[in-house]
Amino acid sequence: MSEAQETMNQVQAENSGAEQPGKVVGALTGLRDWVDERLPIVNAWEKHLSKYYAPKNFNFWYFFGVLSMLVLVIQLLTGIWLTMNYTASAEAAFASVEYIMRDVEFGWLLRYLHSTGASAFFLVVYLHMFRGLMYGSYKKPRELIWVFGMAIYLVLVMEGFMGYVLPWGQMSYWGANVIVSLVGAIPIIGEDLLVWVRGDFLISGATLNRFFALHVVALPIVLIALVVLHILALHEVGSNNPDGIDVKKNKGPDGVPLDSVPFHPYYTMYHDLGAVVVFLFVFCFVVFFAPEMGGYFLEIANFQEADPLKTPEHVPPVWYYTPFYSMLRAVTYPLLGIDAKFWGLLVMFGAIAILFVLPWLDKSPVNSMRYKGWYSRIALLLFVVSFLILGVLGTQAVSPAKTLLAQIMTVVYFAYFLAMPWYTRTEATFPVPERVTGRWISWKQLGLTLALLFALVFIPLQATAAEAGNENLEHAEVSFDDKGSLQRGWKYYMNYCVGCHSLGYARYERTGNDLGIPADLVVSNLAFGGELIGDLIGNAMAEEDARVWFGAPPPDLTLIGRVRSADWLYTYLKSFYNDDSRPFGTNNVLFANVAMPNVLHELQGDVECELHADESGGEICELHPVEGTGALSADEFDQVAADITNFLYYIGEPVREKRKAIGIWVLAFLAILYAFVFAIGREFGKDYH
Amino acid sequence: MTDDSTNTGRRRFLVGSTSALGAAGVVGAAVPFVASWNPSARARAAGAPVRVDVSRLQEGQILGPIPAWRGRPIFIVRRTDEALQALSTMADRLTDPNSDQPEQPEYAQNEYRSRRPEVLVLVGLCPHLFCSPTPHVEIRPEPFDANWNGGFFCPCHGSRFDLAGRVYSGSPASRNMEVPPYSFESDDVLVIGVDEENAA
Repeated sequence: MSEAQETMNQVQAENSGAEQPGKVVGALTGLRDWVDERLPIVNAWEKHLSKYYAPKNFNFWYFFGVLSMLVLVIQLLTGIWLTMNYTASAEAAFASVEYIMRDVEFGWLLRYLHSTGASAFFLVVYLHMFRGLMYGSYKKPRELIWVFGMAIYLVLVMEGFMGYVLPWGQMSYWGANVIVSLVGAIPIIGEDLLVWVRGDFLISGATLNRFFALHVVALPIVLIALVVLHILALHEVGSNNPDGIDVKKNKGPDGVPLDSVPFHPYYTMYHDLGAVVVFLFVFCFVVFFAPEMGGYFLEIANFQEADPLKTPEHVPPVWYYTPFYSMLRAVTYPLLGIDAKFWGLLVMFGAIAILFVLPWLDKSPVNSMRYKGWYSRIALLLFVVSFLILGVLGTQAVSPAKTLLAQIMTVVYFAYFLAMPWYTRTEATFPVPERVTGRWISWKQLGLTLALLFALVFIPLQATAAEAGNENLEHAEVSFDDKGSLQRGWKYYMNYCVGCHSLGYARYERTGNDLGIPADLVVSNLAFGGELIGDLIGNAMAEEDARVWFGAPPPDLTLIGRVRSADWLYTYLKSFYNDDSRPFGTNNVLFANVAMPNVLHELQGDVECELHADESGGEICELHPVEGTGALSADEFDQVAADITNFLYYIGEPVREKRKAIGIWVLAFLAILYAFVFAIGREFGKDYH
Repeated sequence: MTDDSTNTGRRRFLVGSTSALGAAGVVGAAVPFVASWNPSARARAAGAPVRVDVSRLQEGQILGPIPAWRGRPIFIVRRTDEALQALSTMADRLTDPNSDQPEQPEYAQNEYRSRRPEVLVLVGLCPHLFCSPTPHVEIRPEPFDANWNGGFFCPCHGSRFDLAGRVYSGSPASRNMEVPPYSFESDDVLVIGVDEENAA
């Protein structure tokens, strides 16, 4: 709300309450009139809010437009704040993100809000678009609203993609590599165009910098402009509604549609506000308790810095692109002498492009799915099924069965659009009422639809599912409250690990504070000579030496507790065994032929590997520690491994416990706020029904 | 549209309490945005205390603007006896000769504005608009002052300070130069940023 509008609110509120307007009210009214003579604020307020009449039968599906505006604001604010500490260069980008996560006060929160906001944006936009499909909101006279909306979606896709490159992790890098390389599929000019887009012969700092400029300046401006056009076009023709009928056909004597209510205050204050609070509750739950969302919102491989020499084993895009990514992979036939790659590119962009012409494909005499025939209903269901299945497949590695399923679903996706002129004309529709109905889908109907949707999505996926190869991991307990374990873990780390593996994004001071170790003890016992309490935990090994000794510099381990699970780390530390064929005389069961020697050998002693045949005909290695060769007993050694694991898990995200503690307060606050907003909605909503 | 059944009291309570709650929420949401502008852990680490060996600093010489503390230039001057005597004759030319304004730690609120009379430690910034004044430590006539007793002259707006960092009357600056917290770890080693003597 602009200040002028707030002022007006106050004026109206106070005018209605007071018999004689006081001096303050008089002055504010004067100010409003002064401005209004020069800028049509009253007119704008009425046109877009207080006298914008929206159908009164909006349901659940009508929340997502408002919510996408809310997420846009969240993204703009947190994005602006992130640029204050982000460094756009190949050398410093990754470290600057960790700087934000660790050193900037509440930087972690700003970053999680932004990363969760990206997923939330796509979620609410997809639901918003589905609403349009269901109630025919794209149909005449709302074609332009739909086209602007699709343009918003397209810009959002580019915005999200470029934003994902900025943290410069492994997924950023290789995702950018894959998607940008698609440009090279364009016949004749592709190769040259590709070099031009990257500004280099591979994805590099040059690419990162131009994506940064586009992500934070150019695309947001375009996005905001399109949102304004989207809303202006909407307010010109008026909102559609779940019945898809024209409310302007039934006007009262005052010229106001009988089935409408003023957008403000009815929808703004008494209807949408509750949805906003509920949305914020779910959103904050993810931000504070599951910011990675199991690797779907923040992909695990992206906690490793970009390495142009090493592709991660699996490069799935973030979940919101996976349906289109699946279509890209599904095209495996060359056609007309042109690469399959090019056709895949066409199909992928075609899948978005075809949405733009939707208003001209739908020939049905009615708008809403409520009155369309069974062909349309089944088509929409199958379309949703294809989108969801393609989405799930896009997160998984390919197999012949999955590729076939993706191909079938791609055909279904396109058939929804291409057959639409036929089935919308052919089918028998249901009679449309004169006035809007307050009806709501029955529980039975809702249950059946969801069950059918679930079955149609789940069964094909299950049929093509691959056996997951799971590693045998030992469970490790991690606890931030066990300060003794964390302190020992750090001590072992500084004794056995830091010689090779730095903790280059963590500082002595913060680690000491979190673990309850006084600063002077940290400096005298844990830091190398000459380091200050505020320094990062580096190491003394020169990169050149490391290359000679190990072939590659040992990785920094600050984030290993996020890249690997605690169970993996614990099992790894316990899986070394004697192997004379290896340069250091040791090998590892979990990480075969690892370049690292068993640094804990003096504690653990010798471990022999006894080979057994396993059920599938392969060999498994059973480990037997040799008694008396190490300084510690087996149990004592397990405790050492557990302490190091606990410490590494902590240092991967030091703010983890504080984040959850704050989250509880935030959720409690939102719950209380909801109670009040709900009461307001019920109390004032009465006036309009 | 309101009818007679409208409960005005309840409505007023609901609007008031929800507005208050919403305002609290907005303030709460602003906290991370505001707090993120505070100096980060990196900035605070860079602002850690600085150790300086002053044993080689000769009488009448200045060390500065290196070292820097919290990114700000530090001036360290070993004053001559002549310069120290001159300080006591300046009172009528200065704005705050007795250092009444809190521009220094307690232990430097004396005639010399220092722990030890001969060693002067100052933040090398003019309190006017934070240019760094140029040291002119010798007692000799200068173009900007014929009776110059040694001190600092700010090139930006012409503020003058004596060899204790006290501002001359008639300067754009109205306060004395700041004395940072400092202490002597040993006879020779000065620690800038720590108040206590012999602190670790």
